[in-house]
Amino acid sequence: MAGEDGTGAPKTQAAPDEPRKLGRREVLKGLSTVPALGLFGYAWEKQRRYQQAKVDEIAAAAKAPEGLREINIALLGAGAQGQVLTDAMLRIHGLRFRAVCDIWTEYNQKRVVNSLKRFKHEPNAYEDYREMLDKEKELDAVIIATPDFWHSQHTVDCLKAGKHVYCEKEMSNTLEGARAMVAAQRETGKLLQIGHQRRSNPRYLHCYDKIIQEAKMLGRIVTVYGQWNRGVTPDLGAPDRYVISDARLAHYGFKNMHQFRNWRWYKGKGGGPIVDLGSHQIDIYGWFLGANPSHVMASGGNLYYDPKTHEWYDTVMAVYDFDTPLGPAKAYYQTQTTNGSQGYFENFMGDQGTLLISESEVNYAGQLYRDPNAPSWDEWVQKGYVSAPKEQETRAKSDSGAIADVRESVAPDQHTVPVTLRDPYHQPHLQNFFDAVRGQARLNCPAEVAYETAVAVLKVNEAIEAKSRLSFNPQDFKA
Amino acid sequence: MSVPLSHEQDGASRASTPDALEGRSLTPDPPHRTPDIDGGVALDRPRELRDVRRFSHEAMATVYEVYAVHRDPQYAAQAAQAAFDLVDRLERELSRFLPNSDITRINHLGPGERTRVTPSTLECLLIARHMFDLTGGAFDVSIGTGLPALAFDPDESTVRATAQGVRVDLGGIGKGYAVDLMAELLEEWDLEVALVHGGFSSVLALEPPPDLEGWPLTLSDPRTPSRVLERLSARQTALSASGLRKGDHILDPRTGAPVRGRLAAWVTLPRPRASASDRDADEPRAAAATVADALTTAFMLLDRDQVEAICRSSPGLEAWILEDAGLVHFAASARRL
Amino acid sequence: MDEWKTSRSGMIAITVLRVVVGWHVLYEGLAKLTSPSWSAAGYLRVSRGPFSGLFHWIAGNPQLLDQANQITMYGLTIVGVLLILGLFTRLAAAGGIAFILLFYLCNPPFVGYFYSIPSEGSYLIVNKNLVEISALVVILVTRSGLFAGLDRILHLLVFRRTRLAPA
Repeated sequence: MAGEDGTGAPKTQAAPDEPRKLGRREVLKGLSTVPALGLFGYAWEKQRRYQQAKVDEIAAAAKAPEGLREINIALLGAGAQGQVLTDAMLRIHGLRFRAVCDIWTEYNQKRVVNSLKRFKHEPNAYEDYREMLDKEKELDAVIIATPDFWHSQHTVDCLKAGKHVYCEKEMSNTLEGARAMVAAQRETGKLLQIGHQRRSNPRYLHCYDKIIQEAKMLGRIVTVYGQWNRGVTPDLGAPDRYVISDARLAHYGFKNMHQFRNWRWYKGKGGGPIVDLGSHQIDIYGWFLGANPSHVMASGGNLYYDPKTHEWYDTVMAVYDFDTPLGPAKAYYQTQTTNGSQGYFENFMGDQGTLLISESEVNYAGQLYRDPNAPSWDEWVQKGYVSAPKEQETRAKSDSGAIADVRESVAPDQHTVPVTLRDPYHQPHLQNFFDAVRGQARLNCPAEVAYETAVAVLKVNEAIEAKSRLSFNPQDFKA
Repeated sequence: MSVPLSHEQDGASRASTPDALEGRSLTPDPPHRTPDIDGGVALDRPRELRDVRRFSHEAMATVYEVYAVHRDPQYAAQAAQAAFDLVDRLERELSRFLPNSDITRINHLGPGERTRVTPSTLECLLIARHMFDLTGGAFDVSIGTGLPALAFDPDESTVRATAQGVRVDLGGIGKGYAVDLMAELLEEWDLEVALVHGGFSSVLALEPPPDLEGWPLTLSDPRTPSRVLERLSARQTALSASGLRKGDHILDPRTGAPVRGRLAAWVTLPRPRASASDRDADEPRAAAATVADALTTAFMLLDRDQVEAICRSSPGLEAWILEDAGLVHFAASARRL
Repeated sequence: MDEWKTSRSGMIAITVLRVVVGWHVLYEGLAKLTSPSWSAAGYLRVSRGPFSGLFHWIAGNPQLLDQANQITMYGLTIVGVLLILGLFTRLAAAGGIAFILLFYLCNPPFVGYFYSIPSEGSYLIVNKNLVEISALVVILVTRSGLFAGLDRILHLLVFRRTRLAPA
């Protein structure tokens, strides 16, 4: 190979500036480009360091910040919702699961404990929450996802034991229960967050802070409607081999296994679909309108399921009156459990625009429509508050035709909310709670706020029973 | 989905039920396209199956069904519903259409970034990675975008991307994985006489109905479903199917080019252990349907030699490939199901 | 090459050209070597043009693809070092031409082809690959390593020996 430029070259052929003999001058010429390689090495090293630093930076950001104090937590209630919360909490840094409490020790409790062990947590398992509070002295906070009728007692006892509490909604199945929770929170000074998780969802926060409050893009909201529709499903059951003894069920307030699994349908235990589902969205009504309702009328009934095992209404339609700071408004809500078409969403209609939002971004991207007579939204598009408009097909058509189609009014431009939530739905709300525990944030849904929602929602069942329009006193919303 | 690679029909894919909290799932809008039943698999003479109850549920853009025999029909319905709730949960984790699923988060990772996923997502990805290696990249949930650039950490249950632009679509394996987990759940509920399937392209037969040796299944030509090619009797066996309907095409993740000549592929794989409910948490899952699902996708692409080599090295594995020329059968031994 | 002689300034310019091209080739090679997941598969898969069949075939064959990856990574690195040093310059230039020609043929900017790989400029038949190939041709025919490079020293050493041997 050496011959390539050496012996291989015919001697007669003169290479440019043919070297004659190997002197110092020739060696220098020969080595003249070697420094370039050195320079390359230097640049390469710099580049590598830069890349490595970037990778380290990202890795460091993903890790828990140094010196972050671990928060010791317990899960009280390891059912379906407790498992959803656990999955979300496993993605939050700086938490240490110390205990899991559930009366279904053979099944749900075991499942959650096992899944936590996979993540190097060593939680103790309890059937009775009092025993847990007695033994687990190091707990900082308790996450409560038990049936509604237990919320009040569980929350009050945990607060009084000196723990911060994140309690699932509905706050309680009774207003007395909810009031006791607010009182215990005030008395102990501990934090109490209620699980209306949309309150921490960046998409909802953007809608409220930017679109409604700052930009006032909807103008004055006069009507609202929303729904949560769900298809028919059989009652929840349990594997035969894991059935809980009647004695244990009775001890914890359940008549039998069916009631234990389907407590949401039973009076005195849950509140039916209007509370399970509607509470999330009616909470948003009040938040976005900036007011509590003044009246409610509602119709509902048990139209489909066996009333013996489904004491609460499977179908509910409710209309609220609100006196908002900008003027009166009416808000409709329906939930039914026999046809899931179109799922769940909330639709806010103002005199300048419409916002159609849902927790489920894949089904409802957060559409915004500007009223043709409203001021331009160009500024908000430029600021990134809303996406650039998607021209409606009808408009394109009528523009291209010689005669505009006058049979229908021109559809408004469609914008969307330009914010996406990549984390599980409950993660931001839990994160907000733990940030507050560390003194780094204020709760997005403290007890007083959730109490107002509970007052508004629980009244619907009352109105259905009374078959009349019921009014709220502003004092009703103060616990 | 076993025909996921013609995968740009997205928009139609609906999402379901993102709120588990009410303990119930929300039945979603019906999908805007017919569920894929192109695998050409069906139950043979279902009317003759006495006392067998059928329960259906839409999820992952297809229809999941449980066939079961149990003295208490209400109990069976509740068990099936629990299995369907499980599918809905898996869809929330595995769907690449949901903005906050594990898979979407993975698909948005930059180089060096990591995200924590649920143990089931990680398990499904680990099996997918294993099948990628086994099939020489013919089964590739990243469809050629660089699956090896994803690093999995089972201890931390995290996924880290070492390069930009990896896009994962579990369409070719997620249904099988769901079916495997559903079967475990049904066994936990003591529903041992059962058959579970997702769109009949991922089928898992547990114990057969009384008086039968196995669940009777037929494989037919996806172009003319009335033409039955094979009859099987399946017990504790996973059966997976991949097929093309007219106008469909399947892309080879290794070349990006459409595959020609193959019309359908079927794989059967025995379940290693009847009951998995008392399995150790650390023990790998006996994921027969998951593996079969991945293999059918790969067998749509691999040479006959390669298919034969895989079948030879996997006891109990059988495969059928329908080519223009006819049906070819592969098995390690002559033993039939 | 006897007929004409490149001026000294011309030769310096060509040396600079050689170092610059070598630099680029070396970095292309090293960057691939140090990236854990690099593979030519993506590039080969989107191949268009008269030779796309060959490239698709390579992409579809895992063993072959692996070899192609290895050859590309190490080949580019070695060619880059040699070009910068001016060692075995003509061999290195020829090797560089071969590699870059393959890249060029894999995705040639021929009339009517549309590429999914985003490109930063606009090309018709001539693209940067072709320009780099042309530069390597210049380096090859002018034997730039003999002017300023290790080839010069090598040349003298070998020349002497061969001249001494018969004497």
